[in-house]
Amino acid sequence: METITVEEQNKTALAREMMEKLVDRRVLTALEVCVRCGTCAESCHYYQSDPKTEHTPYYRAEQVRRVYRQFMDPVGQAFPGWFGAKPTTDEALSRLAEIAFSSCTLCHRCTFECPFGVETAEIMRVMRSVATACGYGPEMLVEIANAAIAKEENADLFRDIFLDQVKELEKEVQDKLGSSEARIPVNQKGARLLYVPLAGAHTIVPQAIIFNIARESWTLSMFDTANYAVFLGDITKAKRIAQRIIKEAEALEVQEVIITECGHGYTAMRWDAPKWFGHPLPFKVRNIIEVIDDYIRDGVLPVNPATNGEPVTYHDSCNLGRKGGLLEEPRRVLRAVVGDFREMTPNRLHSYCCGGGSGLVAVPEWKDIRMQAGKLKADQIRQTGAKTVVTSCDNCRFQIGELSQYYDLGVEVTSVSELTAKALV
Amino acid sequence: MAEEARQEIKADQKINLEGLLCPIPVVRVSQAVKNLAVGGILEATATDPGVLADIPAWARSTGNEVIAMNRDGKIITFFVKRLK
Repeated sequence: METITVEEQNKTALAREMMEKLVDRRVLTALEVCVRCGTCAESCHYYQSDPKTEHTPYYRAEQVRRVYRQFMDPVGQAFPGWFGAKPTTDEALSRLAEIAFSSCTLCHRCTFECPFGVETAEIMRVMRSVATACGYGPEMLVEIANAAIAKEENADLFRDIFLDQVKELEKEVQDKLGSSEARIPVNQKGARLLYVPLAGAHTIVPQAIIFNIARESWTLSMFDTANYAVFLGDITKAKRIAQRIIKEAEALEVQEVIITECGHGYTAMRWDAPKWFGHPLPFKVRNIIEVIDDYIRDGVLPVNPATNGEPVTYHDSCNLGRKGGLLEEPRRVLRAVVGDFREMTPNRLHSYCCGGGSGLVAVPEWKDIRMQAGKLKADQIRQTGAKTVVTSCDNCRFQIGELSQYYDLGVEVTSVSELTAKALV
Repeated sequence: MAEEARQEIKADQKINLEGLLCPIPVVRVSQAVKNLAVGGILEATATDPGVLADIPAWARSTGNEVIAMNRDGKIITFFVKRLK
């Protein structure tokens, strides 16, 4: 008979509390309607790259269902043996955490292939929340989320560093545009747009070039859009990280918040934040790709596709594409700014995850898993013959860069904004 | 940071983060610092200006210390001391 420690009992109680709180009607449907037909297996990049039962979405969801039966289902509680329910020991929780964090990238592709639309990713998301609350969240993801909160708590300390950095980048923009009039405005009250970058210059300089040429009324956010608490399923921290940008946008009275090319950051602000806070945000949220698409439609960007003459393909970020609906916007922009655009197959709603999504790229010990799960994407990239892969997410960007080295693809990875800026200067 | 002061800091380990973008510099620094003994010093070079704020924020939230940071053109050099 298994012995359960007091600490394990406390964790079990916490896991039960979290599960009862998070299993809403949507998740309950996902838990109850699966008929184990197995259709989802072929839809999963983990299974496609290594066809084993444990790599199928239904297997992963089944592990969580057992806990759900034990905690929340009267029949499961009365007859645990029928459902393979086991006491939730440290070892069992740790195993569930590993499944939720490392063997599912929450890409939602299986949902689109399932005849019942079972949202396995939502089940996994609940499991991530439970695991994080019980102390099984991957340490690196916790550190990155906490660092974002530390930046907000010490905003005065980081303001000067940020402003110095912006001055340097502004010089770079002026050099590229050959104009000392070019600006990267910060804290501009009443600007039309608040643009929220990531930490790197590649999400500031190209966009500043585009905004300056389009003569946009914009201001650069003091914060970055990354919100790693989302990957942990830690909604309290995720709200805190999102709140930094919301407060800034309200103080500056902007009409729109424009999120850079960051999959989870865009999803968090556009779709999740209104749900977290229980009300619509007092400004519109869009992605930078939508803005560039508008500029090109309106003829305000004199782009020259000959500048990007090499064959280019596009990888749909799961967050922007399948979950966010931005499927045609990046393609319209790319057709305008590159000379030889080639579709990857499959694409759009049916695109496969690159294997690095949902925080996997930030956990070094999962590199082997990422490389294995990304094999399918590597094969698809190779088949296009493209020399450049464009993606609208920094996690995808890093993963595809590593896939290129690992599978010897010889491709460069860049973003829609960078290729657009290159076609302008 | 004056060059003399920088040369006085003796790093126990050096890592090159040049070309890496957010959040990978933080990930690599965290990994490297965990491999140091308490009191050990890591020296890193990076090109992503995001590290200027990200590394001090990470150090603050994990209880470590950035003891020096210097920018020379595109190259940013910083030293992190493991405190616990």
